[in-house]
Amino acid sequence: MSEFVTLFVQQLQSPTLGFLIGGIVVASLGSQLAIPDSIYKFISFFLLIKIGLTGGIAIRNSNPTEIFLPALAAVLIGIVIVFISRWTLGRLPGIKVQDAVATGGLFGAVSGSTLAAVLPGLDAAKVPYEAWTAALYPFMDIPALVTAIVVASVYLSKKTGQAEKVEIWPIIKESLQSSAVTALLMGVALGILTRPEPVYESFFNPLFKGFLSVLMIIMGMEAAQRMNELRKVAQWFAIYALIAPILHGFIAFGLGLIIHKITGFSIGGAVVLAVIAASSSDISGPPTLRAGIPSANPSAYIGASTAIGTPVAIAICIPLFIGIAEMMLGR
Amino acid sequence: MSQQVWKLVIVAEEILSKKLTKLIKEAGATGYTVNAAGGEGSRNVRSTGEPSVSHTLSNVKIEVLTGTRELADKITREIEAKYYADYSIITYIYPVEALRDHKF
Repeated sequence: MSEFVTLFVQQLQSPTLGFLIGGIVVASLGSQLAIPDSIYKFISFFLLIKIGLTGGIAIRNSNPTEIFLPALAAVLIGIVIVFISRWTLGRLPGIKVQDAVATGGLFGAVSGSTLAAVLPGLDAAKVPYEAWTAALYPFMDIPALVTAIVVASVYLSKKTGQAEKVEIWPIIKESLQSSAVTALLMGVALGILTRPEPVYESFFNPLFKGFLSVLMIIMGMEAAQRMNELRKVAQWFAIYALIAPILHGFIAFGLGLIIHKITGFSIGGAVVLAVIAASSSDISGPPTLRAGIPSANPSAYIGASTAIGTPVAIAICIPLFIGIAEMMLGR
Repeated sequence: MSQQVWKLVIVAEEILSKKLTKLIKEAGATGYTVNAAGGEGSRNVRSTGEPSVSHTLSNVKIEVLTGTRELADKITREIEAKYYADYSIITYIYPVEALRDHKF
């Protein structure tokens, strides 16, 4: 147990977390520090295309059928997370069901920044993983958003007695066209179809960790600013946001370990799956949900996700699951 | 030289921007102008979005010049029916003089 604590503390001191906490602290102190929106957009594009390239190059050199079971698990987890929120958070007093469902959808959806943070963590801890696991992102992201919008529409049409048919394809299309998923999938395609190794080695790989640390400052500042948003809604959202990433992570890690037994999926891969499940969307999810479930309060789900969900996923879930993986590998 | 026209102003959530401009064009307006907007209203303080991770909480201000009051009212009614209930949105109108009269 003491070994586990040591490993956990080491993870807390990693540059990723340090910069995240730095961002939270300066924004809480009312600092005027501002990083322009366009820089943020470029950095998230850069990180996701790099992760995509890594995955694409890995897929080119591996057996593509290996991805089947983990992808299926990702889809299932994305759907289950929405129902967990519907039947736990959604049943609490004073919580509107559509707010709970939208929050579940956002927590089921995936954060590119959290995904970008776990991979160097695994590298640093020397826990091996399949590089294509990053390509699991859309397999969890899209089902979660679609399920949330469908569940909310079914609930609202039952309540009002007006049946409105939900068009599923536009939601999938919007998710695929979102900047995060586009960058990731373009990276995967370029990694498989072209030979990007020269630019990968000279540009994308060396700059990755530096850009990631800048992104962590931005995420920290954003989290501190969204706390004000969260204070306006019921405290249950904050409590949900604290527990949900850890719970979702364990569900996914468990499924990942079952696949590990069946097909030899790596334990590091199970960590990536767990962290993807623990993460909550901060770029592409909110606009999709705002348009898909207009009556849900965006302060509730964006506040829960950005102010608490993302910091918990990065600061607690990443070190937790990497620590467990290291224990299992007998370090 | 100049012509009396109506200026309809819509301040709304940025995610509605495309839907609103589509509605405006389909209603028959000849054009519109869109700016980023920020401020505070009954729903919330609305940021201009820096450094905003998601644009879901940003705002836009859309201005439409219409030749007749009827067209402006028609656009307002459609926006009211579709979006007033669930979104942060306000609309207002005032008479202005357009200097290129043939355009409206």
